[in-house]
Amino acid sequence: MLSGSDTVYVLRYFDVIGRAEGCRLLLTAANASWTEEHPEWPAEKANQPFERLPVLVERSNGNEWILCESLTIERYLARVFGFMPTDLKQAALQEQMADQQADLLSAFFAQLTATGDMKSKQIDEFNTLFDRMVKEHGRILSRSSSKQHLFGDQLSYADISLYAFYKLFIVYLKCYQSDIAEIVKSKLTPEIINLILSIEKEPQLAPHFSKCDTMAAIFTAKDF
Amino acid sequence: MATNKNPQYILRYFDRIGVAEGSKLLLSAANVEWTEEHPEWPQEKSNQPFGRMPVLIEKHVDDTDFVICESGNIERYLARAYGFIPSDIRQAAFQEQLRDQTSDMFAAFISQLVAKSEEDRRENFAKFDGLLDKLVEVQTKQINANGNNGHLFGDKLSYADIVTYAFYKIIVVGMVKRQANIVDIVKPKLTPQLIKLITAVEANPLLSSYMTRSDSLAAVVTKPTSARL
Repeated sequence: MLSGSDTVYVLRYFDVIGRAEGCRLLLTAANASWTEEHPEWPAEKANQPFERLPVLVERSNGNEWILCESLTIERYLARVFGFMPTDLKQAALQEQMADQQADLLSAFFAQLTATGDMKSKQIDEFNTLFDRMVKEHGRILSRSSSKQHLFGDQLSYADISLYAFYKLFIVYLKCYQSDIAEIVKSKLTPEIINLILSIEKEPQLAPHFSKCDTMAAIFTAKDF
Repeated sequence: MATNKNPQYILRYFDRIGVAEGSKLLLSAANVEWTEEHPEWPQEKSNQPFGRMPVLIEKHVDDTDFVICESGNIERYLARAYGFIPSDIRQAAFQEQLRDQTSDMFAAFISQLVAKSEEDRRENFAKFDGLLDKLVEVQTKQINANGNNGHLFGDKLSYADIVTYAFYKIIVVGMVKRQANIVDIVKPKLTPQLIKLITAVEANPLLSSYMTRSDSLAAVVTKPTSARL
């Protein structure tokens, strides 16, 4: 662990799952001292380094250090708290998965906002990409010695990132598109559902579920 | 540190200045053996790990290949492997956030380029424009804090210098065929500090071989604008 015991973190974001769930899960799994701030928006926009959220504030020894960009924050926290492999190649494989997942979020919004003949094209692209993502998750899992983790036998950045990804699509994005949860659920394999539920049961993540629901109730016997 | 002697790299991408540009710069600056492949598209789509490009293949003497995709990921891997990203985690993250900012900007730029309605185009252009102004402000502030020596951090060519240069190159040189007025939009926004950085990157000896094969961004951004009466 590369963080002092007197280091505290503040995660600034909106009071939604959105793009900050990975950060929240990492801070929780790390057992870091952290709180969340929900800045008045857009009143506080100009006070953020890039006028956007999330923002991570790290305070230690009277100093304050600020980091932006959700994926940069995730990778930073993962490295500080030992969830990212130190081997460059192993790290790149985990980061790749997270970047691919971010592409899916972009593809989701692209198909949501497309109009005219672009609409069906973007929907196809999204579906193709999502199917490929599930296949990629399955491929990584099949090479893992443990079916409860994507890499190795301990909770890693990739596990946390995957969980946040599926939570985004199954729990959050229905506020944009009401049928997206069902569409995504129908694409999942039993192995992936089992993985999601296993990650959720990790003791390190238990505090997270005192603040929000687990996904266990969402998957019923017929999903497997 | 790579334990294999002289790994060879193949970078697969389209034959244009796009999101693989940072990777090309890093491969060149790293002074490793590398080649570019321009697969037939979309025929070769299903042969790529994620159906997309760029893809980096690192070949090893024992015939095992290490394959990764996602442009930002490839850049970070190469930058770390060859010492262009600091080993200090905070410093590394600080550089990475600058690059991550540009992903949303590309998305907004492409959206305004392909927008069907004038309203969509204006909305996406405004988003791109706003993000660009903020990015220029943050970059210039950092260059000043670093002593305006042609680098964002320290006094050697870094990942941050390279990805910053690559971003402006993609927009100003790469996109000009698709949007002729992009130079007139972006150029006036570039501060002297950024122009100095762009010029310094191109003049860096580590990139001399890259510059023999690539158009000069510095020439475009330092070219005097025609006089206005």
